[in-house]
Amino acid sequence: MIEFQNLKKVYESGGQQVAALNGIDLKINKGEIFGVIGFSGAGKSSLIRCVNLLERPTSGSVIVDGHDLTSMSVKEVRGIKKNIGMVFQHFNLLNSKTVFANVAMPLTLAKVSKDAIKKRVQELLEFVGLADKADYYPDQLSGGQKQRIGIARALATQPSILLCDEATSALDPQTTSSILQLLKKINKEYNITILIITHEMAVIREICDRVAVIESGKIIEEGTVFNVFSSPKTETAKNFVSSVMNDQIPDSIKNIIQKHDGMQKVYRINFVGSTAGQPLLSELAKQFEIHINVLFGTITELQGTPFGNLIVEFQGSDKEIIRALTYINQKKISIKEVTAHAS
Amino acid sequence: MLVNSEQIISALIETVQMVAFSLLFSTILGLPLGILLVVTRKGHLLQNLPVFNVLNGIVNIFRSVPFIILLVAMIPVTRLIVGTSIGTAAAVVPLVFYAGPYIARLIENSLLEVDPGVIEAAEAMGATPWQIISKFLIPEALSSLVLALTIATIGLVGASAMAGAVGGGGIGDLAITYGYQRFDTVTMMITVGILIVIVQGLQSFGNIAAKKIRRR
Ligand SMILES: Nc1ncnc2c1ncn2[C@@H]1O[C@H](COP(=O)(O)OP(=O)(O)OP(=O)(O)O)[C@@H](O)[C@H]1O
Ligand SMILES: [Mg+2]
Repeated sequence: MIEFQNLKKVYESGGQQVAALNGIDLKINKGEIFGVIGFSGAGKSSLIRCVNLLERPTSGSVIVDGHDLTSMSVKEVRGIKKNIGMVFQHFNLLNSKTVFANVAMPLTLAKVSKDAIKKRVQELLEFVGLADKADYYPDQLSGGQKQRIGIARALATQPSILLCDEATSALDPQTTSSILQLLKKINKEYNITILIITHEMAVIREICDRVAVIESGKIIEEGTVFNVFSSPKTETAKNFVSSVMNDQIPDSIKNIIQKHDGMQKVYRINFVGSTAGQPLLSELAKQFEIHINVLFGTITELQGTPFGNLIVEFQGSDKEIIRALTYINQKKISIKEVTAHAS
Repeated sequence: MLVNSEQIISALIETVQMVAFSLLFSTILGLPLGILLVVTRKGHLLQNLPVFNVLNGIVNIFRSVPFIILLVAMIPVTRLIVGTSIGTAAAVVPLVFYAGPYIARLIENSLLEVDPGVIEAAEAMGATPWQIISKFLIPEALSSLVLALTIATIGLVGASAMAGAVGGGGIGDLAITYGYQRFDTVTMMITVGILIVIVQGLQSFGNIAAKKIRRR
């Protein structure tokens, strides 16, 4: 478990003070995959680097598994770090050492016996699918392979927490996906708490359980991935969500709405979970005197739950449309009128 | 030609001795100094600005004195350490004061080239400062360190020829006393030729060693 309490970080650079974190309060539960998303400069790296004190907080506390790191001695913190693995955007492997020696490094530092190291490294390389690359050097590997080695190294001392700072940002989408699946597998098989920092909403959608949005050193929104994706509250969260959900009405459709003469009304219907499986539109057409025209729609899956988003046009008398809306509301399906200016 | 092959060989041995011993001692001096110049600087492993500034200043002072002046200025120190200011052993003292700070700078440069991300990874693993230096910084910089020491060695060959001129013996001494003062062109050419071969050989050796460490 990781907990931040009123965490602040101020950098001094050239006489200037830069407040990177402005009072972060956040709790990450044991065994979950937690994502922190934000734009460049929002304070993401500063936050994650406070978890293993690569960066000393200016004030506030960081509590890891019940210990307040900020009140510990340097030596004690070094001990705690063995329980926190870290994966980096640019892998940070030693180019002068083989894959084997890289993965073995945390164990070598901990003075583990040669035999035990050999066994553990073999095990880790098999887990990340690179057992045949033990004698290679990092510059003989692809980016995705390097990151697998970085992950194997981070897991060497069997940590209970794994920190990932933009672990997939240097990789192509396909490789990203395979690394994310590997992280998911680590979370499931070893019950390791994973904290992921990213600026890509796709990463959050693919593996996180919960997410926090950080902006100007503050958490501005927090919740389950499902809740934040289905009903983002802040402007920033909405932007991030629409960057992957593709739920903006295209301009061509907006033009159609603009040309309406009053007989038609346009609505956005959100389907969530089981309601996505209902034949709502055909029911409406049968029961009410209206014509339905689907203008635009998307459907995605969030944490195993379908999530749909449909822009439809109802043509008919006001009375019939109101009856139809009441029917939809009774079914607990969210529907909102769309005007030409709003999205 | 005024010199025989025996004189040339014994001069060569003296040069090798001077370079070898001064390289040894100046590396013993320069390596820790270079490491300290890296780790005590701002934002680094063992940030300590007073120590950094003092060491940096000392290195700069020695680096700014021309060797020929250092050679003379060091005579009292040399007498204190070796007991005499003449001979091959005595020449090693000013050579070490010349090459030590030079090597410190070269090593500092090599170590600064190491990817800060690697140091960060080491810190994240909970490595101690000493472990970071010995298991991360030096191995990562090794090939560049070998090249740095090659440059320093070649510098020492040149400087040792000058030291020879003030009584240290060696190839340089031969070149000055016979080649220059007695206008013996053949001896001059032979000694210069020997120096060229030594420098070429050292550079090639250094390049191959560095490449081998880096592989490919
Ligand atoms: N060592 C430092 N010295 C001075 N200012 C810093 C330092 N590190 C970060 N900052 C500043 O703190 C703020 C937050 O930086 P941080 O690296 O945490 O952002 P980030 O969200 O990780 O951004 P990115 O997505 O670009 O990595 C930025 O304004 C940055 O300029
Ligand atoms: Mg960052």
